[in-house]
Parts: sequence; C-alpha cells; structure tokens
Amino acid sequence: MNPRRAIDVAVPPAVFGVLFVLTWEAIVQGFDLKPYFLPAPSAIWNAFVDNFDLVRSAAFASGANALVGLLAGTLLGISVSFLLMRFNILNELVSPLAIALNAVPIIVLVAVFQNMFASTSEIPRRLMVMLIVFFIVLVNVAKGLRQVHATHLELMRSYAASPLAVLTKTRIPNALPYLFTALKIAAPTAVITAFVSEYFGGRQNGLGYFIPSNFANSKNAVAWAYVIGACLLGLTFYLISVVLESIIKQRRGAAPGGETT
Amino acid sequence: MTPNKILGASMNAVVINKVTKVFNPDKPNQVDALLDVDLTIAPGEFVSLIGPSGCGKSTLLRLIASLIGPTAGDVLVNGKSAAQARLDQDYGMAFQQAGLFDWRSVVKNIELPLELKGWDKAKRRARAHEMLALVKLPEFAGHMPWQLSGGMQQRVAIARALASHPPLLLMDEPFGALDEMTREHMQAELLQICAASNTTVVFVTHSIPEAAYLSDRVVVMSPRPGQITEIVDVDLGSDRDEGTREADAFYDSITAIREALRGIEHAEIRGGVDDR
Ligand SMILES: Nc1ncnc2c1ncn2[C@@H]1O[C@H](COP(=O)(O)OP(=O)(O)OP(=O)(O)O)[C@@H](O)[C@H]1O
Ligand SMILES: [Mg+2]
Repeated sequence: MNPRRAIDVAVPPAVFGVLFVLTWEAIVQGFDLKPYFLPAPSAIWNAFVDNFDLVRSAAFASGANALVGLLAGTLLGISVSFLLMRFNILNELVSPLAIALNAVPIIVLVAVFQNMFASTSEIPRRLMVMLIVFFIVLVNVAKGLRQVHATHLELMRSYAASPLAVLTKTRIPNALPYLFTALKIAAPTAVITAFVSEYFGGRQNGLGYFIPSNFANSKNAVAWAYVIGACLLGLTFYLISVVLESIIKQRRGAAPGGETT
Repeated sequence: MTPNKILGASMNAVVINKVTKVFNPDKPNQVDALLDVDLTIAPGEFVSLIGPSGCGKSTLLRLIASLIGPTAGDVLVNGKSAAQARLDQDYGMAFQQAGLFDWRSVVKNIELPLELKGWDKAKRRARAHEMLALVKLPEFAGHMPWQLSGGMQQRVAIARALASHPPLLLMDEPFGALDEMTREHMQAELLQICAASNTTVVFVTHSIPEAAYLSDRVVVMSPRPGQITEIVDVDLGSDRDEGTREADAFYDSITAIREALRGIEHAEIRGGVDDR
C-alpha cells in the first residue's frame, strides 16, 4: 500500500473515532449522566492511567492464555490434519466438522474443564482456546492438504515421485496459505475465547474477570479501563493476523482463500 | 556400438497393442473409453490425436504416460512397459493448464523433475536456464508463475516437460487456452524445439489446422467406444514455417482430416437412427 492510499484508508475511521469520543463526552456532560450508567471518556481515560499497571498485568494474563492456546491449538491442528490425511479420512471427517464448528457453541465446554482442574489453574482456559484454534486450523489445513490441483498430482505421478515427495513438494506448500488463513482467523478468536473463558470463573487475574467484577462493584470507570485493555490486546492479536496475511500476499500474487469460519 | 544401441535405433517410441480401457467396469456408470486400439509411433514422429469430445484422447495419452493402466492389451514406451518408462522418466508431459507450482519460481518449476531425478543443484540449475533460453524466456527465471501471461506460463510448462531431455513428449491440448496468434507462434516454436532434439510427440488437439500444421500423422478417433477410425498422413515435409500455412498441401491435409472427422459424425447420426 502506498502512503497516499494508507492516508485515504486511515483518515475516515480516525475522524469517526474522534467524533464518536467527543459526542460521547458531550452527551455524558450535557445530560449529566451518572457514572454508574455511563462514565465519560475522560473519566475512563483517568481510570486507565491510574490503574495502568493492573490493567497491563490482567492483559498479560489473558494474552498469555490466548497465546499459549493459539500455539498449542495450531500445533495440534496441523498434526491431526496430517494424521487424518495419512489415513485417508480427511474427506469424510472434515466437512461435517466444519459445519459442527459453526453450529455448536463449544465455548460452554470451559465450564466442564473448570470442573476438572483446581480453581487456581490456567489450564481450563488454555484448553478452551486450544480447542477452538485447533478446529479452525484443522479444517483449513486439511483443506489445503486435500485440495491439490489434479494437474499437479498427475505431474508428480509422471515424475514417479515418492509419496513423501508428493507430500513435501505438493501438499504441504499447497496447504501453507491455508494455514496462514487459519491463523489469521484464529488469532483474534483466541483472544475473545480467553476473555469469555474468564467470565466462567476460575482464577481471578484476567481482563475477562476484572471487567464484570468492577461493574458489579459499581467501579464503572475502572471496568471501562479494563475494556480499553481488552481492545488493545485484541488489536495486538489482530495485528499479528494482519502481518500473517501480508506474508501470504507477498508469497503469492493472489492468495487462495481458506475456510473463513 | 553396443547391441543395445542398435536395438534402440530400430525400436519404436510407442507401441499400443490391442488396448481397451473400461472405467468403472460392471457398475452402472461403466464407460468404455477405448476399445481394441492399435497404434505404433516411430522415434522422432509427431502424431496428433483428434476426435469429438469424450472419444478417449486424454485417456489414450494417460495410458501411454502410465498415469492409468489398461483394462486389456499393453502399452510399450521405448521398448519397455509404460509403467517402467514412467519410473525411468522417459517422457515429459504438458496439459491444457500449465500447472506450474505457484510457490516455485519459474526456474525452480523447470528444475522440479530434475530434482526428483536426484540431479545436483548446479547441474539442474544450468539445465533449467538452458531450457528457458530454448523457450525464449531467459529473463524470467526469477519470476513467480502468476507474473507471467498464459502463453508464457505454457512455455515454461513445455520447458519443464523437456527439461530432462526425454525422448517422448506427451501433450494434452497444451495450446487450448491460448489466443490464435500466440498459439501459431507456439506451434512453430514447438516444431523447432522437437526437430532440434529429435523428440517424439503425441499431441492431443481439437484444432484441425493445428493438427495439420504440426503432425506427421493425424490419428482420428470416434467415441463410444473410443476407436481409431482413420490415420491421415500429412505430407508437408520437415521444414515447416509460416509459409506452410498458406500452402495448398496444408489445405489438402485440413480437408482430409475434416472429412475423416465428418465420417465419424455421419456414422454417429446413422447409429442414432438405427437405435430407434
Ligand atoms: N477417471 C475416469 N473415470 C470415469 N470415466 C472416465 C474417466 N476419465 C475419462 N472417463 C470417460 O472416458 C471417456 C473418454 O474421456 P477422455 O477424457 O479420454 O475424452 P477426450 O477425448 O480427452 O475428451 P475431450 O476432448 O473433451 O478432452 C469419457 O466418456 C469420459 O467421461
Ligand atoms: Mg481430453
């Protein structure tokens, strides 16, 4: 993207954001809204600055859960998609899996995991993130390993290529952009899953705990400060995914799409 | 000269002996793709396969390539079984879609068959550059496939098919997706390349002028079941250039091929009437 276009793209949302915050501030001041109903942006900002260290440590706790789950889920997803391919059960398994993934709110499993481990354990949340990332990676990578161009397979056969060579020189390179697509989807999903998992109880150290608990204690501005922390963490993970996407685009002219579930 | 070489000189490039191919035998979707096909191709010969869609041209080519096996009969390539010839990489293959690997640069695409043959890096890199010069794309070695036009991609695919200097080239409508001008240009280049390397070519096409311009012999096939109905000899000599396309002999060949194809049409129509 050239600088000129970057400005064209960045200016409208920036203007909108500033106007939004100013309007918010004006409404809260003008109608004299009570802080327990809606705090003013200025009050939220003060609470954010005052509680910065707390917000940061909570963001790190949630971020660590998201990151560990993201990495573990990715590794597991890749491994299982290879196993399924090895045993030729990709076709039968993956499509129903993709549908189930969209239809079933597997996030509720976090309550089950919570019950299995000590209440001070981070494992249930990480398991939850891992599980959700696992499915996203599995569905996409499996697709990349499977949807190989028929001409490529015939060429490899005409070269008398070994099954291993077909894997390393055709299927895996074919699946790589699908993996990046999966990560692009999975990175923001991992953060959201980590937050939501923290709502379900367990250790009280993440953003997903502090946001509702501060609201419950009528410390609304502080709760909103944690919301800012959540936004920043989400943005960080989103940036990771944007970087991943640009890598795909650099490697290929037009990146083939993966499943955007 | 060793006895082997003497044998090699007289050996046929391709022998197809009473080959039948049935897909999905004894199932409701059974297809008799080829029935009792006989065809012998001499070394250095350029043979085209032409016929209505579904008459088994691609199937015949795939049988020669040993990408699939025959239901009955046998196929010999370079005096050995087609399967053995494939293991020895005795042929190169090109399809209608160039089928370049998007994640490999142009030069690495051409190197792939050599890599799989176990050539060392320096040797295969040198050969790949040689092939790129042959197809007149030397400055595109480092480009990625998507940066090339369709015609250029097809040339890379041909360079890749010829990279290991195979004695046999199998092509399935390789110019089918190209515009007419590029197509004629590529035809001329292909003839030059094959003449220079004395490569035998089996070439599937739907275009009568293309078959006439390129071939020493045009094999005309009919569908259901796929059979060879006629083989048209094309007497245009070995030095063919743009002038050839204007020559009377060229038009005579086109007419001969067209009439052979018309015969199939008429037979099909008659067959349809008889069935009622
Ligand atoms: N793998 C397969 N399984 C089942 N049937 C097949 C298979 N491959 C080809 N056929 C059938 O065999 C017949 C011949 O097919 P083939 O692809 O050889 O035709 P073709 O002459 O190359 O046609 P076209 O000119 O359209 O490329 C067709 O009826 C086709 O449906
Ligand atoms: Mg065909």
